[in-house]
Amino acid sequence: MNEPATITRSCRGSVLDNGPVSRGLLRLDLRLEVPVNFLPGQFAMLNRSGGRAFVFGRPFSILAVDGDTVSFLYRVVGRGTAVLAELEPGDELTFLGPLGRPFPGPDVVRPALLVGGGVGLPPVAAWLARWGRDGDVACFGGRDGHDVPWDLLGSDWAVSVDETEGVPADHTAWHGLVTELAADRLAHAEGPGTVLACGPVPLLRAAADLAAREDWDCWLSLEEHMGCGYGVCKGCVVPVRDPAVSPWRNATCCSEGPVFPAADIVWEVYGAQASLAVTEPERPPKEKP
Amino acid sequence: MNLPAWWTIDPCAPFRLGPREFPGRIWTASGCFGYGLSAHDVAGADGRTPYDGLGAVVTKTVTPSPRPGNPMPRLVELPTGALNSIGLENVGIDAFLAETLPALEQGGVPTVVSLAATRPQEFGTMAAALQDAGAGCCHWHGVELNLSCPNVAEGGHDFGRDPDTVAACVAAARVHLPDRALLAKLTPNVAEIGILARAAADAGADAVSAINTVVGLEVDLATGRPVLPRRFGGYSGPGILPIALAKVDEIVSAGVPVVGVGGIADARDALRFFALGAVAVQVGTSQMRDPLAAADLAAGLVPDGQTQEPGQTQDP
Repeated sequence: MNEPATITRSCRGSVLDNGPVSRGLLRLDLRLEVPVNFLPGQFAMLNRSGGRAFVFGRPFSILAVDGDTVSFLYRVVGRGTAVLAELEPGDELTFLGPLGRPFPGPDVVRPALLVGGGVGLPPVAAWLARWGRDGDVACFGGRDGHDVPWDLLGSDWAVSVDETEGVPADHTAWHGLVTELAADRLAHAEGPGTVLACGPVPLLRAAADLAAREDWDCWLSLEEHMGCGYGVCKGCVVPVRDPAVSPWRNATCCSEGPVFPAADIVWEVYGAQASLAVTEPERPPKEKP
Repeated sequence: MNLPAWWTIDPCAPFRLGPREFPGRIWTASGCFGYGLSAHDVAGADGRTPYDGLGAVVTKTVTPSPRPGNPMPRLVELPTGALNSIGLENVGIDAFLAETLPALEQGGVPTVVSLAATRPQEFGTMAAALQDAGAGCCHWHGVELNLSCPNVAEGGHDFGRDPDTVAACVAAARVHLPDRALLAKLTPNVAEIGILARAAADAGADAVSAINTVVGLEVDLATGRPVLPRRFGGYSGPGILPIALAKVDEIVSAGVPVVGVGGIADARDALRFFALGAVAVQVGTSQMRDPLAAADLAAGLVPDGQTQEPGQTQDP
């Protein structure tokens, strides 16, 4: 159930649509040469094609797939995503995916509590769309009301904001951390169930702590910089507990993850190294793909 | 691309290197395609696989004991390449022989096993264990000695910088590998690589692989400190292509067969190595970016209507 049952394609993709869904988040729809399948939690490596390719692609969790069309959410955080934001319909990218170990499937202990922070929304949104049932709870956290992709979330999601500015009059939002919202929802749920989360490290750690405290299962999708994306370069390791190796071992995030059981992660080590796996130059993009 | 008139070799045809016949001349470089087992579910839009036309996978380097590798960060992307400090993370020779080598054989992956050690005699010990465990393997074609590691027995200096030490490592492995190709992978961080290549060949290497990564360093301007915890890393990618070509030229001049590696991004880059006399090439950093890189490159280098006879090794 927790294994990819898909062919990973290395192919070209043509931009269908690319634009903001909130002030900070952008959605990219890419039409591939061939249809692909994916499981929620899997990702793809995107790169410019030909001579202008970056040395490494950039990993993006898959939001949705419809035949040969793949959708992603992203936020401009560096050189690669800055280039992505400039793409127009018809521009070409290379696609390698789907990749990685997905979230567990529909047989998780219910209810499921989904927690997505910012650009960590796609894997949990994909899970909810594929396998969500009555009783499951979905929580999204944004910086403020402008940061929240209200139309994308619809009515299935409870929303939290760090600042209440920009929350539309016809929507409500919890003022505080999304993990505080999740804790409130969990307290009212018929548990124990399963927490599935994706977002920055503090969110993941808080989700893991919440699940452990309440004896819920917990799976986390880690946001990591990556080199190859398919397990060969060993540039994106995560410290995990393993009965066979003391005190812990390095798991390759892209191929053994990006989804891990929360209980396996060695937070004392991971917290210090998170987001340092691959660094990229500070130089801004000069060319348009 | 249009292939030049002088290029008449089919890179996907068998060719002989030492005691072995390899299925082709386009290989993947050590550390850039894992153990060769991570891409069996990858395919191009047209169904091509990363193994189509591949002459060999040079495995991730294997050491006498398992190694956890270096702390993060391990990779730095640069405009013309990448700086890595992975730290030879690997499963160790015992697990490699028990699990990885049989899987490679079962998968029909043409394999060159990369070995590293901290003492010359350890290369011999590992080669003997490999020969013993892999005796029945028909897809295991050879061994590449990674000589860019510190030599503990000699005060931590790289094996690859001293001709006598290169010779000692090669000789220690050669005696146990009568029917597999033996290559020594040389570091470019030396003044005269031809002398080292000659030392390897005289000690029994069938060829050398050149080049390994170039020592490099990147500074984080925000902190004023090196980005990599161990300060230095191995620089690879398109930026090292001219360095690799120069080193290969020097080795060819020394009369030693060479497998060219360093900065190959496409078929044109590979042709540059073949033009200088390389008998085969390895695709490294590009293979990390795209698991089909070497397969695409091999397909792009097949001359129309021409093939090469097995066992033919003359240079273009």
